[in-house]
Amino acid sequence: MRRRQHGHDGTHEHAHPEISESERLGYFEIMETAVRELLIEKRLIGADEIRRQIEVLDSRTPALGAKVVARAWADPDFRARLLANGRSACEELGISFYDDTSLIVLENTEKVHNLIVCTLCSCYPRPVLGLPPDWYKLKPYRARAVSEPRSVLAEFGTVIPDEVEVRVSDSTAMVRYLVLPRRPEGTEDYSEQQLAALVTRDTMIGVALAAIGTGRTGL
Amino acid sequence: MSETESLVTRLPNDIGGLPAGPIQRVDHELAPWEKCCHALADVLDFHKIINTEEKRCGVEALGAEMIGKLTYYERWIVAFANILFRKGILTPGELARKMDEVQARWPAGVNDEPAGRP
Repeated sequence: MRRRQHGHDGTHEHAHPEISESERLGYFEIMETAVRELLIEKRLIGADEIRRQIEVLDSRTPALGAKVVARAWADPDFRARLLANGRSACEELGISFYDDTSLIVLENTEKVHNLIVCTLCSCYPRPVLGLPPDWYKLKPYRARAVSEPRSVLAEFGTVIPDEVEVRVSDSTAMVRYLVLPRRPEGTEDYSEQQLAALVTRDTMIGVALAAIGTGRTGL
Repeated sequence: MSETESLVTRLPNDIGGLPAGPIQRVDHELAPWEKCCHALADVLDFHKIINTEEKRCGVEALGAEMIGKLTYYERWIVAFANILFRKGILTPGELARKMDEVQARWPAGVNDEPAGRP
């Protein structure tokens, strides 16, 4: 069934599920507004705090993580500090942690490839990567990443040689992980900015490898 | 393990290692209310009204059917309401009245112009 009132010639047709979806969203959207307003009326939270946190959420993108990775590739001392304490090293670069989480950075080497997951829910290094993609929160990834990581990686087009160990780290409410991908060969002359452009979100989750030509700007 | 045993040892969200279908590389831009719900969760955590662990437990407590049928942020807001009731911070009657009030602000028939956004 389609609704036809939009276009004169039927080119603006929309399928019905879209409509029922927005009606269903309405109920929970109302609940969210009601809960939030009641808590504000009771002075347990501030309306300005919500607005500020929305701005914080909007400001967090994988570009922050890419900056961290590029610095670690370019500066061995920073890399050592990052591996020793992920959170404090990120804070050095001006990335604040707005939650109570610690960050463990997992370094990929020629012998080990790391992958992160949250099997119970959707824990993710949000201060450095922003919000997780939907597939990270859905059952297939959460269920299979821990039991058949190589098959999962293959579905992302990432094939890890048998002699390389695959390690999967399961995130918790308090401990989050970030993968430090391997620096691609042939990037010896790259500036930090050029390096950062090679680092995608997926490389820092561990489902992809950093490579020349596959980065965010396709350098 | 028998079916009843696995009901006890595996809560509905404890899915690590279970068989599942292929990865679907889906993503979506959050709806404004979803982003607001996320910000609300963070602010509730800052004030230690509901921390991340309580949120996860609250979602688990919704049970398999709601976990299966509600979307991600729908589960969150329902879990928050339940936790706030349990802690005596809100009452169900209070929330119902406020929801009626919010609903009444919306122009009739228009569901995509909420009046309650901060």
